Formats: sequence, structure tokens, C-alpha cells
Amino acid sequence: MLKKSFNFLKTWHNCNNSILINACRSLSGTATLFRDVVDRKIMLKSLPTVDEGTIGENTVAVDLLSQDKHQIFPTCDSLTKLFNGVPFNQIPIINIRVSHNNTIINFTDAKGQPKLIRSCGIEGFKNTRKGTNIAAQATAITFGTKTLERGVKTVRVRVRGLGPGRMSAIKGLQMAGLEIISITDNTRVSWNPPRPRKQRKL
Amino acid sequence: MRHTSFIARTVFVHNNDVEAACRVLNRILGKEDIFDQFRRTRYYEKPFQVRRRINFERCKAIYNEDMDRKIQFVLRKNRTDPFPGCL
Repeated sequence: MLKKSFNFLKTWHNCNNSILINACRSLSGTATLFRDVVDRKIMLKSLPTVDEGTIGENTVAVDLLSQDKHQIFPTCDSLTKLFNGVPFNQIPIINIRVSHNNTIINFTDAKGQPKLIRSCGIEGFKNTRKGTNIAAQATAITFGTKTLERGVKTVRVRVRGLGPGRMSAIKGLQMAGLEIISITDNTRVSWNPPRPRKQRKL
Repeated sequence: MRHTSFIARTVFVHNNDVEAACRVLNRILGKEDIFDQFRRTRYYEKPFQVRRRINFERCKAIYNEDMDRKIQFVLRKNRTDPFPGCL
């Protein structure tokens, strides 16, 4: 009796296995058939979000900027505040212009006279590789060392635009050994702009 | 003084902590809708898209307000020390 039942179980098990295999086969077969004709919108939605280098944009402040709030943000008299013996408005500026496809870094003196300009394209990155955070960081590092050679150590940074190079360019400047004392956002935003170009067809 | 450069949208870096400063700046710009407006104005937004977006935002605001009220209602306290044993 026991043996019989065991045999029965064995056969049942085999049978089950074959069913499973069949089920798997049929499923995989349909999956390959349907893979090509996915809705484009669903496909785009499933793609990872584009890195714009805006860390912290969607985070919620937990510590509410603690007590040194007044030091983080500038006041009317912070233009004459001394940094390493130089007033804030006399410190040279590094402008970073970020777009989806490139990052351009420009070094000017306090009055805005341009002294040095580099971009990911000049650096040797071409085509789509220009618009990556790695390219921006590499450019920023070489740019930082060049500004250091000119005898400039403390700078203020002004960033314009959104793109993958936004954060990494600033990080690269810091890695090169420059002392960044302030970060300013200079993204051009208007609430009644002239009519922009038509939307891209996806 | 109309949005003076290096006063407006500026954050000072402390102890060479660039990332923290950037995070503060980005969070404020994100909350103030500046990044969203920038992204929106890269390409023309057709009137029907504007209408749809505005309506959606309205509905979301109403829903959020109601939900906040509901949560406040559920969490309401009527004790002298609302959270005994907590600091």
C-alpha cells in the first residue's frame, strides 16, 4: 500500500513537472513575441530618471538647517565680509554653464573680465560623452589646477542651467584644491518668457 | 536692490562642505518651483497641456489639504502631556 502510494506520488510529481515545464515554455514564448511591441510611453516611464545633478531637490529637511542658518545665507553686509583678507565682492568668480549636452566652465575676475574658459568639448570629450558627469568632473579638475597655477585659491561659484554636470563640476573644482566660499544659482527662469521652441517628438 | 547677484540664490560653504551647501540650494530652488518652471519653459507648453497641468495641481492641492486635515483629526490629543514618556 505504502509503495503504491509512493509510486503514485512519483508519477504525479513527474506529471506535475511536465505541466510546469509546458507552462513555462508557453509563457516564455508569448513574452518574446510581445517584447517588441511595448507601448512607448510605458517604455519611457520604466527608464531611469535623467541625472540632473540636483541632489536634494526633492528631499525633506529634517533638521531644519539647525542654528547656523544666519551664516549660510548672505545678508546685505556680506558683500564686504572678509574671506582670507579679501572682501567677498572682490573674490574672483568661476561660472559654470551646464546643459544637457555640455558643461562650460569660465573663470573671471571680480569685475567679470573673462580670463580662462574650458568646456568638456575642449577637454577631448566628444559627442554624447560631453554631456556626462564624468566629463564635467574631469574638466573641472583640470580647470581648477589651471586657476591654481594663476595664484587664485578662493573663488565663488556661479552655476547656470540644469544638467548632469551641475554637481560634479563643483565637486571637481573642490577636488582640484580650490576653496569654494559660496555657490550661486544663476539659472535663467522667467514666468512670462517669449514663446519657446516646439516640443520634441518622442 | 533687484535680485543682486551673489546675494540672491546664494549659499555660503562652511568647512569646505560643498555638497551640503548644494543640497540646501537645490532644495530651496526645487521647493520654490524654480527648477520646474525652468524645465517647463524649455519647450512650448500647449494650452491644453497648461489646462491639464493646472487642473491636476488643483485637484492634488485639494486632496492634500483634505488628507492633512484627516491626519490631524486622527492624531488629535486631549491629554495634558500629549506624548507621555517622550522628551
